[in-house]
Amino acid sequence: MAEVRPDEISAILRKQLSGFESETDIYDVGTVLQVGDGIARVYGLSKVMMSELVEFPNDVFGMVLNLDEDSVGCVLFGESTKIKEGDTVKRTKRVASMPVGDAMLGRVITPLGIPVDGKGAIETEKFLPIERKALGVIQRQPVKEPLQSGIAAIDAMIPIGRGQRELIIGDRQTGKTAVAVDTIINQKITHTKEAQEMGVKPVYCIYVAVGQKSSTVAQVVAKLQEHGAMDYTTVIAATANEPTPLQFIAPYSGATLGEFFRDNGKHALVVYDDLSKQAVAYRELSLLLRRPPGREAYPGDVFYLHSRLLERASKLSDDLGGGSLTALPIIETQQGDVSAYIPTNVISITDGQIYLESNLFNAGVRPAINVGISVSRVGGNAQIKAMKKVAGSLKLDLAQYRELEAFAKFGSDLDVSTQRTLSKGARLVELLKQGQYSPVPVERQVVSIYLGTNGYLDNIAVGDVKRFEKEVLEFFEVKNNKIFETIKKEKQLSDATIADIKKVADEFIAVFK
Amino acid sequence: MNESKVSIRYANSLLNSAIEKGNLQTVASDMELVFSSLQSSEELSRTLSSPVIKPQLKSSIMEEIFRSKVSKETMDFLKFVIDKNREDLLESIVTKFLELRDQQEGIVNVNVQSAVELSDDQRENLRQNFEKVLSKKIRFSFNIDPNVIGGFVAQIGDRVYDASLKHQLEILKKRFLKGGASLN
Repeated sequence: MAEVRPDEISAILRKQLSGFESETDIYDVGTVLQVGDGIARVYGLSKVMMSELVEFPNDVFGMVLNLDEDSVGCVLFGESTKIKEGDTVKRTKRVASMPVGDAMLGRVITPLGIPVDGKGAIETEKFLPIERKALGVIQRQPVKEPLQSGIAAIDAMIPIGRGQRELIIGDRQTGKTAVAVDTIINQKITHTKEAQEMGVKPVYCIYVAVGQKSSTVAQVVAKLQEHGAMDYTTVIAATANEPTPLQFIAPYSGATLGEFFRDNGKHALVVYDDLSKQAVAYRELSLLLRRPPGREAYPGDVFYLHSRLLERASKLSDDLGGGSLTALPIIETQQGDVSAYIPTNVISITDGQIYLESNLFNAGVRPAINVGISVSRVGGNAQIKAMKKVAGSLKLDLAQYRELEAFAKFGSDLDVSTQRTLSKGARLVELLKQGQYSPVPVERQVVSIYLGTNGYLDNIAVGDVKRFEKEVLEFFEVKNNKIFETIKKEKQLSDATIADIKKVADEFIAVFK
Repeated sequence: MNESKVSIRYANSLLNSAIEKGNLQTVASDMELVFSSLQSSEELSRTLSSPVIKPQLKSSIMEEIFRSKVSKETMDFLKFVIDKNREDLLESIVTKFLELRDQQEGIVNVNVQSAVELSDDQRENLRQNFEKVLSKKIRFSFNIDPNVIGGFVAQIGDRVYDASLKHQLEILKKRFLKGGASLN
């Protein structure tokens, strides 16, 4: 066994201590007047800043949220049982901030940047404040690049652009998280060499879990790992058992980390899962801080709570590097009531919404997207031309189908053209069904939607549509692999490509059983 | 919150009128006397804040206690406060008055904690240094707290000048723990 000499140890200790200078430390203090429910009222701290971090005894930190005439209201990021009346509170002289850096990728952290995945400390150099002002008009440019979700229904009809804010809204158990997780998994394509060669920049992802069960978060992390998506993803977890203030700031932390990527000319996607729970956490804090309650007992500034968060999503101008931060906020509705306070607020802030419905989900339409009322207000500019071309007729066909769907129940009294519309619609709905964790690349989406809208499915039984799609795409792969390559490279459907598709599809129809 | 607003208003007017009449010294020492009596006698402050006792009775009690000891101006002020039904705030008014007086005269209160009794030399040294740093007159109060271990902790209002061994050791501890953060 190797020996360690005592003088060696003391030499190391001396070296470690050499940088330590003893000098008078000057700091500002206050005294705890009242503590409880995660809130402390502090006397003193006369020069403290709004949202500054303050240090309580026993390594509990707090954030200043109220500056009153002779006391300061703080929220606690730790257990309030560790703090007593009369304890000394110290200023830290920095507003609540978190470490940011590339080292955050692949990690699970708390909203204050402390790792909770047991993989050791995170080496970062930079600290950024959690609450930052959103950029102004000059620094931005219109959204123009696509962010492929890998879900055909979304990419075709509700396209999301880089820098957009697209709300995912629906009741519990309708697959809201699934849509977001699939989108994160689909960003794996952007990290490949092939994508780089075609000028598609990688998208870094941040998944913010607010007020969820720890087991659910663990499940999401496991799924991301399984699909190799954790390499470019950070999970910020403020689970249900964390103190409410952490749940309140978690989305802002996510935005701060996303902005770090954006400001370095990279592209980031941040999922806020979900903002209803954040609003509930903020309501709790506000009521405890004795701010007056308003509608549904939410405080008056609950709109600003979400608008300042979502306004931070942006596409930077080319002068600033052209980075982007895309936001996918999630809102859970109660019994499909989108006219409740928080859903209407967030709907009006975002650039569109994806509605998920439980009756569609139960009818087996998964993802349960109601394409009739889902919209994307800016994403259309960001669609690749090929997709735009095929999606136009898809939207029309589906709209006609929905209009006539009610009549379908009356059976055979319908004329031929109505029947044709109905059968086509049913097949298109079937075509847009998609399994979880199986995102489809955009070039394949284009080909299958082209086949669907151009009558190739009309003679296939509705039950066979999915099998047909799978087999026809395999056939394309084997027969004429170049078609996919061309669509990917040219980003449009030229007449030559259409002719190729037709040729291969006709060949396949002939042999399909 | 309203309490402090009211007390500041009363304290301010007393201070200004005393300055006008040129008897700040007398009024201030009277107020110190009132302050110490309120502090030492819980019965007195309870009587003053009790809504059951009539203002006239309170007024005559105050007169009996302080008549021979304070100036006429102070006595008038005390009666005035009782007259206005603000006697329950008297203690905070007096505190505020003394604070404002200190501000007016450029005096700061420095509370020094040390592990052992400081020698006169050390106290004088501290005074000189603080007067130089703050460019104000210093009024010291000294406490002994063995937890400080060595050095001293001086508090002026909300600001702490910490030159204690205890604090140094805490910083050292944090430094060592930071180096070992990979353990978590």
